[in-house]
Amino acid sequence: MLNKSLKVLMVLAFLLLAGCGGGSEDGGSSEVGVTDTEVVIGSWGPQTGPAAPWGAVVRGMECYFAMVNEEGGIAGRKIRFVNRDDGYQPARTRAVVKEMVESEGVFAFCGGIGTAPGMAVKSYLVENGVPWVGPNTGATHFAYPPEKNIFAGQTPYVDEGSILSQYAVTDLGKQKIAILYQNDDYGKGGVAGAILELQQHDMTLVEKASVELTDSDLSSHALRLKNAGADAVLIFTTPKHAAIILGESAKIGFQPTWLTSLTLADMDLMHTITKGLWKDVIFANFIPMPTSDDPLVQKYKAAQQKHYPEERWSILYMNGFTTAELIAEGIRRCGKDLTREKLIENLENLQDYTVDFQDVRNKYTYGKDNRQGSRSVYLLKCIDGTQFEKLTDFVESDIDINAAIEMMKSGI
Amino acid sequence: MFTQLIITGISIGSLYALMALAMSIIYKTSHTPNFAQGEMAMISTFVAFALQTTYQFPLGIALLGALLFSLILGVVIEFCFLRRAKNPTIVDLIVMTIGIQLIIQGIAGWKWGAEQKDFPFLDLDSQLVHFGDVVISHLNILTIGTSLVLMLLLYLFFQHTRMGTAMRATQQNEVAAKINGIRVNRIKAFTWGISSFVGAVAGLFFAPISTLDPYLMWEPLIKGFAAAVLGGMTSLGGAVLGGYLLGIIENLFGAYISLEFKSTVAFVIIVLVLWFRPSGLFAKHYQRKV
Repeated sequence: MLNKSLKVLMVLAFLLLAGCGGGSEDGGSSEVGVTDTEVVIGSWGPQTGPAAPWGAVVRGMECYFAMVNEEGGIAGRKIRFVNRDDGYQPARTRAVVKEMVESEGVFAFCGGIGTAPGMAVKSYLVENGVPWVGPNTGATHFAYPPEKNIFAGQTPYVDEGSILSQYAVTDLGKQKIAILYQNDDYGKGGVAGAILELQQHDMTLVEKASVELTDSDLSSHALRLKNAGADAVLIFTTPKHAAIILGESAKIGFQPTWLTSLTLADMDLMHTITKGLWKDVIFANFIPMPTSDDPLVQKYKAAQQKHYPEERWSILYMNGFTTAELIAEGIRRCGKDLTREKLIENLENLQDYTVDFQDVRNKYTYGKDNRQGSRSVYLLKCIDGTQFEKLTDFVESDIDINAAIEMMKSGI
Repeated sequence: MFTQLIITGISIGSLYALMALAMSIIYKTSHTPNFAQGEMAMISTFVAFALQTTYQFPLGIALLGALLFSLILGVVIEFCFLRRAKNPTIVDLIVMTIGIQLIIQGIAGWKWGAEQKDFPFLDLDSQLVHFGDVVISHLNILTIGTSLVLMLLLYLFFQHTRMGTAMRATQQNEVAAKINGIRVNRIKAFTWGISSFVGAVAGLFFAPISTLDPYLMWEPLIKGFAAAVLGGMTSLGGAVLGGYLLGIIENLFGAYISLEFKSTVAFVIIVLVLWFRPSGLFAKHYQRKV
């Protein structure tokens, strides 16, 4: 009896081994995280803690992959999406990313929220050659200098700073530009971009007011901006600080034109938390607005309502879809023969690739020495909580990005 | 600009003062630096928010409900957590309050999410009064006025009521208070209730100028703590003055010297005070008599 079951086991073990061997011979499953029926994609972002609102991006990716799987997956493979909550704490990011690579066998990473968490895993992912597509940050650390396996998608903050100041000066004829910025790579990127752009117009920032993440009283910031006589103020802060500065400024009768980074493009939220003061604010964006009637946006929205009806259909959530589009396109171009090497090669060859939106078509181009897919944003103006006016088409930044990086290194 | 800075300094300072007052009240009777103070205020503010927006109660009821909730919350925390500890050291107490802080933060994040909410406490912050160049909002006036009244009431309560006297007695010598028939535990629970109430007032006034989220009271708590240390932890008047001073110093520093180091001023002040006047600017040193 015992002998018989042992025999059965041995036969089974042999068959299993043979099966594995066979698999690697025809190349289908020799790559980490790829089988003939499945590919494992990983991501991370905060679902708890102060940065938890950004976590919506990761949940958006989850919904995107659920939609793709429902349509049959990519080249016959379903996507298994694993993601972890890192609470926006770099030390935790390191731990969860290592865990996803080593125990979950992740093939490639998609997105990943935040600069500091991303920096904590960058060298690890480079050393292990794990492809990482579209970090959700506009910091320049991920594409400059270029790393073979990292493909940046989001427009750098320095370029936003440049494009917003250019619009303020040339289109609106503003004379005195100031900036309210968060005292980290995000805010300083905006400052560097604005300074370099203004140099081209023989101008300089009339005031740079820095905000710490923990600040909650910005009355002296508002007074300083007002005293500088600024007629346009760029905002590179969190939604919370943007709301506070608008409130404080309105109180002291300071009403410049406000222009903000794409991180504040959640117009619905901003309009609510500023009690309507967000009206007329100009903001950058790189994807369509979630309320637009674009057919693809509507398709995404339908997927959200089907798979995760409890979620709020917001721009952050939709950003998860657009982030995932990029890696999905890379995998699609690999077809049956999916390896990390091929994915990198296919992404590198993307030229003017756009997600199939009707009129908001950001173009992504990579190359041997270029890992920054896009340096463009388009500008919008808030009419009210749901209504917006499109001010420009995609504008590409013309500043020397390396000069901006140097400027940030030497201190703003 | 200078006068404007003083005015806004006093206005934000009165919130620091309320937080400092709340911390001092607890520290006075139970020698516990309560790091959960901010979160207790935050969740009380969320209760007002929920009552008003989710359950559609009128503003007055929502505010009263939140304040009642804060009283009960304070008592419950003392009764369920602090009282259970057997001979806790100061470190144990600090760790406990930090634990409570994290628990409350977790609950608020789970119940209401981390996304910022608009706290629809009238629209008082955009209604303004002008004195020449200086502007002050109705909300600022209300904040300053309420905090002054509250401080006065607390002063009268501590100095001129039996309960207040019992509280002071508990603070000065717990054993002697017990011997004299004061129910020390009950006093402590009541102190936590009052302190939580004062903090909740600060939260309710702070949410409309900030945005409502589980991290609402992060900064006011730290600043309130600094103000309490500045004033000497056990002196209620000192805590209040500390709060106003901090608000004004911070604002002037931010406007004339450096915005980057505006938030750091509070900590520099803590260090300087601990260095030169460890018992605070305004505290009387109680000498234990043998």
